[in-house]
Amino acid sequence: MASARNWNWFHRMGSPRWFYETTGRWLPWLWVLTISLVLTGLVWGLAFAPQDAKQGNSFRIIYLHVPASFLALAGYYLMAIAGAIGLIWKMKLSYMVMKSAAPIGAALTFIALFTGAVWGKPTWGTYWVWDARITSMLILLFLYLGVLALQYAFHSQEAGNKASAILALVGTVNIPIIYKSVDWWYTLHQSATIKLTSAPSMHPDMFQPLLVVIVAMYSFYGLALILYTRVEILQRERKAGWVRELARQAETQEPAK
Amino acid sequence: MTFQFESLQQMWDMAGHGPYVWTAILVSLFVMGWLLVRPLQQHSAILKTISQQLRQREQCQKEHQSANTSEEDK
Repeated sequence: MASARNWNWFHRMGSPRWFYETTGRWLPWLWVLTISLVLTGLVWGLAFAPQDAKQGNSFRIIYLHVPASFLALAGYYLMAIAGAIGLIWKMKLSYMVMKSAAPIGAALTFIALFTGAVWGKPTWGTYWVWDARITSMLILLFLYLGVLALQYAFHSQEAGNKASAILALVGTVNIPIIYKSVDWWYTLHQSATIKLTSAPSMHPDMFQPLLVVIVAMYSFYGLALILYTRVEILQRERKAGWVRELARQAETQEPAK
Repeated sequence: MTFQFESLQQMWDMAGHGPYVWTAILVSLFVMGWLLVRPLQQHSAILKTISQQLRQREQCQKEHQSANTSEEDK
């Protein structure tokens, strides 16, 4: 009996309704936090951080390039872990989170690639090189798109979930390759500016705004993931009583045009 | 902490790097904004579809019931 009670939190967390209602209370705060952090970090980085001695002002692209790349990689782990939890414990909510993480990750990977290309032109003299870092990042984009596409490739939701989760798990091989690509192979890409194990190779005046934008990007990711997951919950649970009640309430709140 | 440019015009130019920096920033912010707006639109669209379906079903049931009762009257 005791063990059954201990697992209650796990089952409650797996309940789409619980997720929907709890995150509904968080959303206003998360919106305020995200918007204020993004604005603070970007204005600080773009207008007040000193320019780079070698790269001049083009280095300011770092204030979106690095945070987007961070979350593109961290988001892939999250998606793969959500897929694994779905496969192992057959948790419905977990698959919904996995599917929601795919378009967000794809968009962030696109931002990382795009800002990198635009930064490359004034710095390296070219928009694109087929080196290990950039190519493995492009593979990451295709992995995200693949996970998303598999969701729509089967008639049964169950089969789509399993296929997506397996692709997500197999694709995790790519993540350490991306991290290490700048050390393992010759590349134009500079090596990591921020490492957990050592001080950043950057002046504090440049580093502090970067830290703000990184925190802002985590907040943004949380917000986007919650918004997408809530849509997924409504779509998959549309026959549940509480969703119907929600739809009725929304209708009465918003008079028909 | 000091403002690094002498004017907003200079900040826009960024000593020639303006086009690169601002393209990167604006495209990224556009994509990020789209990531937040799209689920909001889908959210209200789904709720609308569900309530419409519920109303249609209720109407069907009513018609069915009234048809039954009128048959019983005969």
